Amino acid sequence: MPLLELEDVEARYGPIKALHGIALTVDEGQMVSLLGANGAGKTTTLRAISGIVRKSGKLQFAGKPLPRAADAIARLGIAHVPEGREIYGEMTVWENILVGSSFRRDRREARRDCEEVLEHFPRIKDRRRQQAGTLSGGEQQMLALARALVARPKLLLLDEPSLGLAPTVVSAFYEVVTRLNAETGLTVLIVEQNASIALDVTERAYVLEVGRVALEGSSDELKEHERVRSSYLGY
Amino acid sequence: MAQFWQQIVGGLAAGGIYSTLALALVLIHRATGIVNFAQGEMGMFSTFIAWSLIENHGMEYWLGFALVLLISFAGGAGIYGAVIRPLQRGGELAIVIATIALLILLNGLAGWIWTPEVKAFESPFPHSLITIGDVVISWQDVGTIIVSFACVLVVFLFFRLTRTGRPMRASALRPRTSRLMGIRVTLMLAVGWGLAAALSAVAGMMAAPVLALEPNFMLPVLVYAFAAAVLGGIDGPVGAVIGSYILGVGISLLSTYVNYITVAPELQLPVALAILLVILLFRPSGLFGRTVVRRV
Amino acid sequence: MRLRPAALVQLVAIAAVAAFVATYPLYKSDYEATKLTLVGIYLIAILGLNLLTGYSGQITLGHGAFMGIGAYTTAILVTKTSISDYATIPLAGIAAGLIGFLFGFPALRLHGVYLALATFGGAVAFVSIVQSTHYQGLTGGATGLFFGPLKNPYYLTWGICAFLYLVAWLLVHSKAGRAFKAVRDAPIAAVSSGVNIALVKTLAFGIASAYAGVAGALLAIRLGSVSPLSFTVTLSILLLTGAALGGLGSLTGMIFGALFIQFVPGFAEDHVSKTAPQVGYGLILLAVLFLMPGGAAQLLHRLGTLLYRTTRPLYTRAARRAEAVATSTRSRT
Repeated sequence: MPLLELEDVEARYGPIKALHGIALTVDEGQMVSLLGANGAGKTTTLRAISGIVRKSGKLQFAGKPLPRAADAIARLGIAHVPEGREIYGEMTVWENILVGSSFRRDRREARRDCEEVLEHFPRIKDRRRQQAGTLSGGEQQMLALARALVARPKLLLLDEPSLGLAPTVVSAFYEVVTRLNAETGLTVLIVEQNASIALDVTERAYVLEVGRVALEGSSDELKEHERVRSSYLGY
Repeated sequence: MAQFWQQIVGGLAAGGIYSTLALALVLIHRATGIVNFAQGEMGMFSTFIAWSLIENHGMEYWLGFALVLLISFAGGAGIYGAVIRPLQRGGELAIVIATIALLILLNGLAGWIWTPEVKAFESPFPHSLITIGDVVISWQDVGTIIVSFACVLVVFLFFRLTRTGRPMRASALRPRTSRLMGIRVTLMLAVGWGLAAALSAVAGMMAAPVLALEPNFMLPVLVYAFAAAVLGGIDGPVGAVIGSYILGVGISLLSTYVNYITVAPELQLPVALAILLVILLFRPSGLFGRTVVRRV
Repeated sequence: MRLRPAALVQLVAIAAVAAFVATYPLYKSDYEATKLTLVGIYLIAILGLNLLTGYSGQITLGHGAFMGIGAYTTAILVTKTSISDYATIPLAGIAAGLIGFLFGFPALRLHGVYLALATFGGAVAFVSIVQSTHYQGLTGGATGLFFGPLKNPYYLTWGICAFLYLVAWLLVHSKAGRAFKAVRDAPIAAVSSGVNIALVKTLAFGIASAYAGVAGALLAIRLGSVSPLSFTVTLSILLLTGAALGGLGSLTGMIFGALFIQFVPGFAEDHVSKTAPQVGYGLILLAVLFLMPGGAAQLLHRLGTLLYRTTRPLYTRAARRAEAVATSTRSRT
């Protein structure tokens, strides 16, 4: 059963159209990646899903159309970790995580989740009371992920998590994500410019070009595909 | 010695008035990132509405008080939705100018609706005095201290119990990202503005019996509240309240015991501001402000 | 030399203004001309404010007080010494500039709202000091000083204004101007590029204050008097509003700002509401904010883009024709 279904989705930034009819599906429990060059529309696609860009077309989540307001979409169980992390630099690490759970009504369980999530990220657990803006890039990325997870999402959207991070840090990050997917069945949609690592961790992938889906298939297939290899994998 | 305690009480009463307005300023600063220049005038306008209900139409004081708080809350939220929110794309300066426009507008509107004549605003507290040994203090002062502190406490409790403090702060820091966390950003900010308006109304209604009601009466109060909020560290509600009491008592003691100011009472405000400036030089983020570390 | 359309619009605007200003007193009464003198005075003041707030990013509520410093310098010099009023103008500018520069040092430690409060405090202090009975001998206390008749230094004001506009333009387009903008937009990057932020910021304060001082001096000469209540925080707010509506960060926009400061309050009183002129002024202010959040500069920019879009086909047609001629002549030879 597809958890997320997009059909004929268009999106614009003012007068500029960024998506010209995107179609994609993500099944429950899957890890799917969105690849493409700069400006292909990957981030815009995520933003169309999470509701922070003007869009039109069919977007369905768990069989029902997505609401318009971004906060309503988030409360449905879609967590978007934005490009550049966007953590609250002036708050502490702990406060950042708490913000992620603020909409939840079940206060006690939410608090417990916050503590639990921090256990999964030992590196930032030690820096609990530190101002988030002073963390390194990799730590901030972990924090952004932790913050998204305390909302107990059904679908996780990751926007270029490897941006500006060292390869070992990126591997560690994806290790966490993969483990979460394996242990809890969390559905993940990943936007990445680093095509090789994306194709390694995900089962299926879409390649976007100029606001349209150019290629789709299983990650293994695409790894062997000629155009993917020359344009995005470099060999 | 008796005079000392009397001055302290008087200073605390003034501080109480400043504290409600200062807390309003901090709320707006935390919610929208700017100083609302119209905060005092919003309080003034609310006080005129109170006057109209209580003095003109004979409504019972505390009923009128409560009603004015509700009206002010709605008015504040309304101003946020109608004026501030649409202008946020213009940047912070556009919003600051908008608050200046509101200041001018409200001031003129009040003068136009209720005429600029000075009016008496009856105090809900008895006119009698309390004598404790040598010390003589007024019910007005004591009542003001109690009411101001109670209102500030209610606001603190509201944020604690409803846990809206943190999402409100998040909404101000990064509105778009906060939406991605399921926070109803617009609602948060509207509530912030509504509460600030209600607090300003309290400041106005406590100050009016002492200062007399006319369109400009809240302007000096705004200056002191602003100074107190900055002194306490503009982003900290606790600091603003403490700063207000320090300022109130400080000015009260200064004007009694320092000759220079008793000789020239019109220098009271600049001397207070000068002292404030000196404090800011040593603590640029206010006495209790958190210095934000900027990562290179 | 190919000019960008936006720059072209700016030049045309300035030329139009210059022509208008130069000829105005020739066909208008002296009373009307006086109003334009005041526009020139405000323009000088907000050019300085623009440099401080628009380019260097430091918010100030004390600009009116610096006009006051300039004005009082003129008044005191004329009253106490034999210096002629016009000669005091540069001195007033220097005095205000120096005090502004010194104020810039403590201002370094303060940002945003804290700086606003500090400048506010300074402005209030200025009025109180000048008004107090303590210094009455020098400043004339609450009544102020009278030292001359009403004058209309129209051409002098606009001459100085044109000169200072040029100075501001050169400053903005120089290495110093880029340093200003760097400090405003990305202070951390600026420091790593070797910009001495402290110097830039204090210089900005000094220069802006000097501009205000000159404007104040001219105002004093126009009125032949100074009074403490002419230079309160209200004036600072009026100047800030005018500069913001003109478009902070744009020099040409300031012309609109100055016109706004001079004419809109009166307009509000005459045409919107006689009994509540402030209501009218507040409403007009809000209306301008809603319609043009970027100020008049944004309007100019839009005009420039519009101009570019409509005339672009003409450019390309002309260019193509020129090229066709060139290639045909080449093939003939």
